[in-house]
Amino acid sequence: MSERTDLLLSIADDELVLGWRNSEWTGIAPFLEEDVAFSSIAQNEIGHARALYELAAAELGTTADELAFDRSPAEYRCAPLVQLRKLEWARTIARHWLYETADEIRLAALRASDDPEIAGIAAKMDREEAYHRMHAEMWVERLLSSDEGRARLNEAVDELWPYALGVLDDGLRPELRSRVERRLGRALPDVEPVSRDVHEAELAELLEEMTMVRRSAPAGARW
Amino acid sequence: MDTRTQEFLEYVQSGGQVETTDWMPDEYRARLIKFIEMHGNSELMGVLPERDWILRAPTLQRKLALTAKIQDEVGHAQLIYRVVEDLGKPRSACLDDLVSGKAKFHNVFHYPTRTWGDVGVIAWLVDAAAIVSQKALLKCSYAPYARIMKKICWEESFHILHGRDVILALVTGTDEQFELVQEALDRWWEPLMHFHGNPIPADEDPMYVWRIKSQGNEAARQEFLDGYVPQIRELGLTIPDPALRKDEETGVWRFTEPDWEKLRAVVTGHGPASEERLAFRRLSREDVAWVEQVVLAEAA
Repeated sequence: MSERTDLLLSIADDELVLGWRNSEWTGIAPFLEEDVAFSSIAQNEIGHARALYELAAAELGTTADELAFDRSPAEYRCAPLVQLRKLEWARTIARHWLYETADEIRLAALRASDDPEIAGIAAKMDREEAYHRMHAEMWVERLLSSDEGRARLNEAVDELWPYALGVLDDGLRPELRSRVERRLGRALPDVEPVSRDVHEAELAELLEEMTMVRRSAPAGARW
Repeated sequence: MDTRTQEFLEYVQSGGQVETTDWMPDEYRARLIKFIEMHGNSELMGVLPERDWILRAPTLQRKLALTAKIQDEVGHAQLIYRVVEDLGKPRSACLDDLVSGKAKFHNVFHYPTRTWGDVGVIAWLVDAAAIVSQKALLKCSYAPYARIMKKICWEESFHILHGRDVILALVTGTDEQFELVQEALDRWWEPLMHFHGNPIPADEDPMYVWRIKSQGNEAARQEFLDGYVPQIRELGLTIPDPALRKDEETGVWRFTEPDWEKLRAVVTGHGPASEERLAFRRLSREDVAWVEQVVLAEAA
């Protein structure tokens, strides 16, 4: 596997798994409007994952579906931030906001890539991610505007901070720290980032459920 | 019936439509609220049987399509509750009555979804049955409801295509995949036959009398059978009712009489998944109650 496919799979896996996690809110979000919003965001993330898997698949001689569904859990490259099961609203918003902030920084770097396919896909993704950022920012604004909301958001951000740092490579982490600290108006602790080499137990459970239908027929079956 | 109500009734029966701000008899308003609220509840509760399968969809394409379909259903609930709100009942009151078990939702959403075959059968046949009922609302005497039904019917017809595509892939796949569809059809046939309600004559059905809907229950069921029995059989599937056949002389479908007592039990909350679904929704509503408080505080 080349450095290029490794990069593509890292981002694709992030988007797939986060899209999956966002889909967990479908039908049970706090407001119908948020059901619709999170379903829509999930569709974008999964669409991005598909486009990235297709690029990697062309190089690896496989298909996007095989990359998305048929690897073993240890082969997934997604950041632990998206692996965590956080079906609680403040943590969902904290993860959403931290991920979108990190993703903006990552996409800006990729848009400057010498590889025209990677630069192109990053630009295309960023056009949709801009709306995710607006949505996340709206919720951060809302939660910060009340004592209870602020307390819950701050607690969730503290809990997820080492995971958020793990989304980015070393060089891009200071930018994430500065943006998050500026928005929250406080310093965040110096912590060890949770790297992509870590596989949370929740990822194996997620993959078990994600592939249960697909595994029920022999490889190559049409669905 | 007073003269004004009589005139109103004659007006709607001759195809007249009313707007939110027009005068309407109390009985008409109450029936509209109950009917439209149940429709909104059904769209919302209909998300629950399908949502687990977004997470299990076997390809990226299926995952995207199913997420989009379910998102549409939530969007329909949102639109429909707005219509109810204009008639005088706020969304929060509808949701309270839904989770307390006071308000009803459609029979098909009281059943569990066991396999990926159910996903196809629901999107194809349950949505097909729904679209027959929903088309009968396009001429609803209450104009705001009729208007949103245009958008809803258009989206539902897309769901049928998605469902049919899921089914086609399965029936042309392995024997086990074919069996997934047949087994799901066996379980869903009874709820599908219940779907349009008991064969009460249209003239005795208050929903028809007030022209909230433009078709009686049995006419809707016949239309569904006419449209879909041939398609189901064409795929090599067997419908689990040996008595089902079309009377060539009258053009009327004959079938084993569905158990109407069972339908009544299901829609009053005694279906196989009724309690589980409501409990799930109650729980999720309690978990996020603080969010509503925060948002209301921000708005104040």
